[in-house]
Order: sequence, then C-alpha cells, then structure tokens
Amino acid sequence: MSAAAQEFLVNAIAKSSDLEHRALIQRGMLSYDAAVVKGKLRFSDWEAARDRCAAVKAEGIANLGRLLIEFERRITQRGGHVHWAENAGQANEYVVELARARNVKTVVKSKSMVTEEIHLGAALEKNGITVWETDLGEFIVQLRREPPYHIVTPAMHLSRRQIADLFRDKLGEDVKDADPGRLVAAARVALRRAFFAAEMGISGANFLVADSGMVAISTNEGNGRLTTTIPRIHVVVAGIEKVIPRMSDLAALWPVLATSGTGQPITTYSTLIRGPRSAGENDGPEEFHVVLVDNGRTELLANPETEEVLKCIRCGACLNICPIFRHVGGHTYGTIYPGPIGSIYTPRTKDLSEWGHLSYACSICTACKGVCPVKIDLPKQLLLTRRDFISGRNVKAAERAGFAAFRWVTASGGRFQLMGWLGRKAVAAVNAFGLSGTALDPMRAWTKYRSPMKFPKKSFRGWWRDNGNR
Amino acid sequence: MNPPANSAANRKVALFVPCFVDQVAPRAAIDAVTVLRRIGCEIVFPDDQTCCGQPGFNTGHWEVARPCAEHFVRVFSRYDAIVCPSGSCTSMVRKHYPEVLESTPLRGDAVEVGKRVFEFAEYLVRVAGVTDVGARFPHAVTYHPSCHATRELGIYDEPMQLLRAVRDIDLRPLPNEGECCGFGGMFSTKFGMISAAMGDTKAGNIEQAGAEYVTTVDPSCLMHLEGVFGATGRKLKTIYLASILANTDGGADRGVNSPRRAK
Amino acid sequence: MGTVKTVASPAVNAARENILTRIAKANPDSRTRPVSAGSDALDAIFPAIPNQRQRFLDECAGNLTEVFVTTDAAHSADALALILSTVPAGEVYVQHDPALQPLISVLKEWRTVKLSSEGAPAESIQATVTLAHGFVAQTGSILMSSACGGRGASIVPPCHIVYGRGEQIVADIAAALARVADAIPDASYVGLITGSSRTADIEKILVQGAHGPRRLVVILEG
Repeated sequence: MSAAAQEFLVNAIAKSSDLEHRALIQRGMLSYDAAVVKGKLRFSDWEAARDRCAAVKAEGIANLGRLLIEFERRITQRGGHVHWAENAGQANEYVVELARARNVKTVVKSKSMVTEEIHLGAALEKNGITVWETDLGEFIVQLRREPPYHIVTPAMHLSRRQIADLFRDKLGEDVKDADPGRLVAAARVALRRAFFAAEMGISGANFLVADSGMVAISTNEGNGRLTTTIPRIHVVVAGIEKVIPRMSDLAALWPVLATSGTGQPITTYSTLIRGPRSAGENDGPEEFHVVLVDNGRTELLANPETEEVLKCIRCGACLNICPIFRHVGGHTYGTIYPGPIGSIYTPRTKDLSEWGHLSYACSICTACKGVCPVKIDLPKQLLLTRRDFISGRNVKAAERAGFAAFRWVTASGGRFQLMGWLGRKAVAAVNAFGLSGTALDPMRAWTKYRSPMKFPKKSFRGWWRDNGNR
Repeated sequence: MNPPANSAANRKVALFVPCFVDQVAPRAAIDAVTVLRRIGCEIVFPDDQTCCGQPGFNTGHWEVARPCAEHFVRVFSRYDAIVCPSGSCTSMVRKHYPEVLESTPLRGDAVEVGKRVFEFAEYLVRVAGVTDVGARFPHAVTYHPSCHATRELGIYDEPMQLLRAVRDIDLRPLPNEGECCGFGGMFSTKFGMISAAMGDTKAGNIEQAGAEYVTTVDPSCLMHLEGVFGATGRKLKTIYLASILANTDGGADRGVNSPRRAK
Repeated sequence: MGTVKTVASPAVNAARENILTRIAKANPDSRTRPVSAGSDALDAIFPAIPNQRQRFLDECAGNLTEVFVTTDAAHSADALALILSTVPAGEVYVQHDPALQPLISVLKEWRTVKLSSEGAPAESIQATVTLAHGFVAQTGSILMSSACGGRGASIVPPCHIVYGRGEQIVADIAAALARVADAIPDASYVGLITGSSRTADIEKILVQGAHGPRRLVVILEG
C-alpha cells in the first residue's frame, strides 16, 4: 500500500466517525441540491444543454493544438505574452522570474485550481514575495495554512465561529457574534489593502477563447475583477485544456457552469480579458501574461480512453453528489482535486501506483455521471483506472492469489458449489470456536463495521436440488 | 391477482442466481421463484452457472471478469428469458459484458444475451405485465432505489408499482433516497469505515421515514444494511422485494438471509 | 522589457514545441470527432422570452440589481440625485461621455465629481456612474467594458450606477456576446455583470457585497 493510501485510510477513519463534520457537509450539500433544482428549471432542456457543452469541450480538445496557436496569436497581437510550460517547475519559474524582474513584492491571487496544482503560491513565497489569496474561501484556508476543502467552496468545512476565531487571531478583527455579513466585511477591508498594494495579480481562467483571443474568468465576489484591474501586471495561469473554439460557446457554457457549480443562472462577474489596457484606457494592467500549463494533460490526451477527462470545467458537481465526498470531505483525499474527477485525474497525471487507491474509494454508485455537465463518463473512467492499476501489478500478492482462486472456483457450477459449501463450513467453524473478528476470521473485514452475516445451512442450489426442482 | 393478456402463464424462465445470493442469502432467490411460479412461470435453474464476474470487473481484475462473462454467456445463451434477483448483476451482464468482452469472439453473443436478462421486478412488470401478485404485507416499508438498478437500468417505477399493489402495506417515502447505501461490492471491505458511515446515514433516513423495513431489488444492499443496523443497535429490518411479494398472509420476519423452514 | 524570458527565447520555444508535438502525436486527424452543434441549437436549451423588458426587470429583482425606470433625461437626473442621496459623502467617479453630461451637470454642485479621463478611480470613491453596452433580459445582466470609464469603474466602488436606455435590452447572453465582436472591438475588458458582488463561502450563507460593489443600480430611461 502506498504512503498516500495509508494516509487516506487514516483520514477516512477519522472523518467517517466525525458526526459533526458529517452534519455540516450534509447541510451544505442539501442547500446546494435545492439551488441546483431551481437553477435547472431555467433551462427548457437541461439534457440538451449538457450535450451542447460536452460537444463544445470535445471540439476544443479535438482541435487543441490549432486552437491554442490561434489563441496565442490573438493575445500576442494585442501586446500580451504567452508562455508555454510543460510542467509545474517551468510555470513557476516563469512567474517567479517575472515577479523578480519587475520588483514585485506583493501578489494578489484570484481562485485558480491549476495554481494550487503547481504550488505557485509556495514558489513565490520562497522567493520572498507575499501572496494574498483573495477568494474569500481560499483566503480563509490560506490563513489556516491548510489546503482548500472543495474546488468551488474551499472553506465549507468551517463554521462561522471558527472563521471568527481565525480572523481575530490572524487579522486582529474581532467579529463578536460571528455574523457572516460582518466576517465578509472584515475580509473585504483586509484584502482591499492588498489589492491596492499589489504589483502583480494572478488569476486562473475558466475558458480560453480562441476565435477572439480572450481569457474568460467567472467569479461572484469581484476579487477576480480587482485582481485583474488594479495591479500593473496581470498573469493568467491556465491548463491547456481550457481552450474553447468560439466566444459564442459561452452562451451555453456560462449558464451551465454556474448552474452546476452553485445553482446560479450565471456568476456575478463573467469577465473577458483581451490583454493589457488598450490605448486610451484610463486603468488596467500595463502588462499581460498567459502561462499555458501542460503538467500531465497531454498524457490524458494521448490515451483515447482517458481523453474525455480533459472536458472537465471544474464545476464541482461530481464532488457535491458523491456520497464518499459527503462522508469524508475534501481534505481526506490528500490531493488538490478531490471527489470523482480528482480520483481519476490524480492517479492518471501524477503516479498510478501512489494514487490509484483513490479510484477504489468509490462505490460506483454512478451518481456523478448523471450530474457532470460535460458528460464525462466518470464511473467508467474510475473502473478503467482500477483496471490499469491492477495490470500495473500494484496490489499485494494475496489479492492477486485471491482472484486467481476466484477465477478457478467460478469456472464450473460443481466446483462453485463445493467451494461455497466449504466456505460456509469454515465460517461456521470460526463462529463456533468464538474466533469471529480475529485474524483467523475470513469475514473480519466485513465484521469490523457490521454485525456478522447469518450464513444459511443450505445454499440456493441445495434448496433447489432438495425441493425446488419441480 | 390480475394476469393480463400477455400473461406469464407457461413462460419458461431461466434463473440467474447471484453468487452471494446462492451461498449467503438464498431466501432472495427462493422467494423470487415462489412469485414467478405464482404468476405461471416455469423455472429452470442451469446449475453450471457461477458468477457474473462483477467482483473482478469492479476491482480492476478484468482477467477474472472475462472468463466469468464467457462462462455466463455459454451457460445462458440458449434461454429466451433470464431473470435475476439482483439489479447490479443484471446491469453487469447487460451494460458491462460488451466492454469486458471487447475484441473477443463471444462479444456478440454477450450483447444478445444481455437483451434477454431481466432484473426480477423488471421482468414482472415490463415482460410479464404483472403488477399485482396477490401479496399482503401489513408493515411500514420504505424502498431504497439501489444504484445499479435505478441509474444503470432505469428501474424505479416497476418496484414501486409492485409495492403499491401489496395489500395493507404502509409505503413510506425515503428522504434523500438516491444516495448510495455504501455497499459498492469490494468497497464495503476495502473502505469499510466509509461504507459503514454511508450505511449509517441511509439507516438514519430510513428511521426518519418511519419505516420498519427497508426493501430494494438488490440483496447485496440489504446484506450490508442489515449488518449496519446490527452494529448500530437499530431496530430496523431488511427484506428483499420478492420476499414481500411472496407473502400472501402477512408472514413473519423474512430478513434477507434469515433461515426459513423448507416447504 | 526587463530580463524575463520572452517568446523569442529558445528555452521557451522548446516547451512550446514539445507541447504542440505531444498534442499532435496524441490527436491524429484520423480519429473521428463529434461536430459541434451550431449556435441555433441554443433555442432548444433555453425557453423563449416573450417580453424582454419585463424579463429584465424580473431578473434584476431576483439578483438584487436596483432599477429606476425613468421617462427622460430630467427624470433620470432626478433619479441619480435620489440614489446619491443615500450614498455616503465622498467622490463620485463618472465615465467621461457626452451622454452622461445632462445627468451630472447638476450633480457637480453638491458632490465631488471625478471624470474617468482624469485617471483611475481611487480606493476611496463612494460611487461610480457609467454607461453600458447593453442589458440582457435572460439573466438581468449588464454588458460592460473598459470603454465604459475603464475597468475599475464597475468593480472598485461600493455603489455602481449604470445609465442606459430601454432599447439597449437584448434577449440573451448569445445576443450580448454577438454584440461584443461588432460593437466593442478594442476594449481590453468586456464582461457581463449580474447583480451585486456576493459570496456564500461561509457556511454556504449568501452575503451581499464581497469585494465588488454591494449596490448595483440601473437607471433605465425610456
């Protein structure tokens, strides 16, 4: 078992029995569920909307090279710079060097999963640059020095009381009644100073639009707008799979992303950036850089079976519906991307042996498949990841032997009947000798968390043979 | 009872009994036989059958799932109608055999046999056209829509119609019914703590429904929930759908794998 | 341009070529691709909007955009005065455009007005007044750009006031985006703004007024 798998089990045990955590998450998810039901009513045909978004993202991936070149050309035409990074190291190196060359002391960041993926914040801080996460949820977990809990609502695991205590300790702001409105106001004041002091703003991108050379950023708080307006340098970091063919595609993608993400018709600020401030504009960044990040995405592309995973628009719907996520929460996974998408993405782009266990932390209930707005067959991807994990010989010899035995036993009805009878006798013996739950009990993995099964004296075959077969 | 024009009278049906039902929870299959016979089916049990291969498939051991699938196809191809008291095993055959047997000679046969395999409730309602099997079960029951049956096979109305026709039944809606009970095959032991937590949440919802029994079309869900009820000291009971339908007189406790005197 | 590696640098070109090569190898033309549905497919996704003006007003009510419906410029000027009477004392930043002149001529007498042509909005401004490129009925959104007094005008102040005309209402997001290509070819920022800034990051409870304006007001004339 890999170190990551062991850690997962330890965290899962802790969270599974944490009823307070479970209640908090359930509350949040039920409110999300209700919002999405309402949100879907705005569509005359939600399924057609999913089909359309799936088709647009598939088209983007199918034409990835050509669209990225077109995007780059248009950005460059308007005075922006496009930098290509094969991996996290190259991406971070570019941004750090840019910051140093421009005497950047302070950076404000709006929410970007890929910047977490490449640990850009840490790279900047190592070089003496202060980084402020400006999305409220990200700001909160940054103060707590912990990773985001959820890709859309990073601090959903915290109560207002915990956040009030955090603000008192870290910001010196004492919001005595922990009122959410006053907590938000306190964060606004703190981050306002950062926005106006920062020399560089770093954002992600929800979409990179090829036909018009635009970076599309969807936010609700306005931090994405301020990040890309006040500082004199704007850097966009985006995965290469974010490119879409046309601006008109956003007419479907924007509402679908918002509906799946939060149940909203559209996010408050649906922003399109073409580059640095144009001639004659009174404000806006003087410099504009887009860092296109591969970091394993071309691996997914190279495999026809996994290509569809690149359609993901990071809406969080699969996390929200996933019963495993609802019971263990986002931190248990130990990855930047949790939930169903993360359990495929991480083993596939990092290390299958190290992270393959995530693909097993799933009951294949297939609820995620029904909610993915771009129709990724997530359960199928999870099963394929398991298949490849096994063919990579990543399981213990005992499991391989167990399945080899299973194969032998299931080759004929007679053999199956005999081995079943022996098995039931063995379990009965274990119970008779009071060895249930001990190392000698073949059912102990079951009985660790459940009362023992009552094994029947006769199998169905036995019954059929004796009195069933009229 | 109301056998309609396309009555199942004299229909021959091959029984596909899931491996664990055979060995651990035979009551589910026995009661399915009782109900199918009551509506006039002739039951055949091909005794060379073993396992649909789902345990291998779901754990990534496709090299084990493949021979199981091939064996199944060989055993069952000759039958016009195959009925299975399990949504997940039916789904394995119908939805996943083509994948597992990709580029093998038996793929075509697997697709064909998949069209003739039916989950128990599906068979009764969609094929035999029967919703009232003359059952009586005067208890508060809630239906858990098991994942494979509901989402992969689209089976939901059929078990509900069958349950609504049961005399004196007190059918309760299940809060958050769509959420998985936590069994998930090997997931139940590989990640037992999560599986048990999910079962605990499901149990809480069943209690909230005010039900005495939970039923579904997948005995494996029930096996898991029964274990969770026991471990958490809950007074709830499980009963497989066919076992409700097999009751004509309001019968005694029929937990999914409780013993019953042989007739 | 400082010591940063630019597009011309060989090391950068290597990464670009490597990535494009990997993409090309992964994505041969021989693989069949689904053809994307044309934009007319949107008719199948969203219901038709019989009364765009009413829809716009209903959506604004839902997303907490305040709307003042006025009949003419004088009426609009009164509305602006009324709105600003509830805005704390402080500078008002106004897009420098002839269309806004009638509105602010009186305003200058009792409020400090800074025009966008004088520079970026200061952190301390209390309100901004701008035009818009259009209003979207489908979502109650405002089509803005940096041509409407700059980027900051629609995000820096606690109160953003938009002055527009009823005939600027378009049906949906698709129509608004179509307008971008034609009518807003040069602006470095274009966007749809839908309601006031908000967050639900604390216990999933919706709070108005995060980093952007807490108040978004539309004066809709005619």
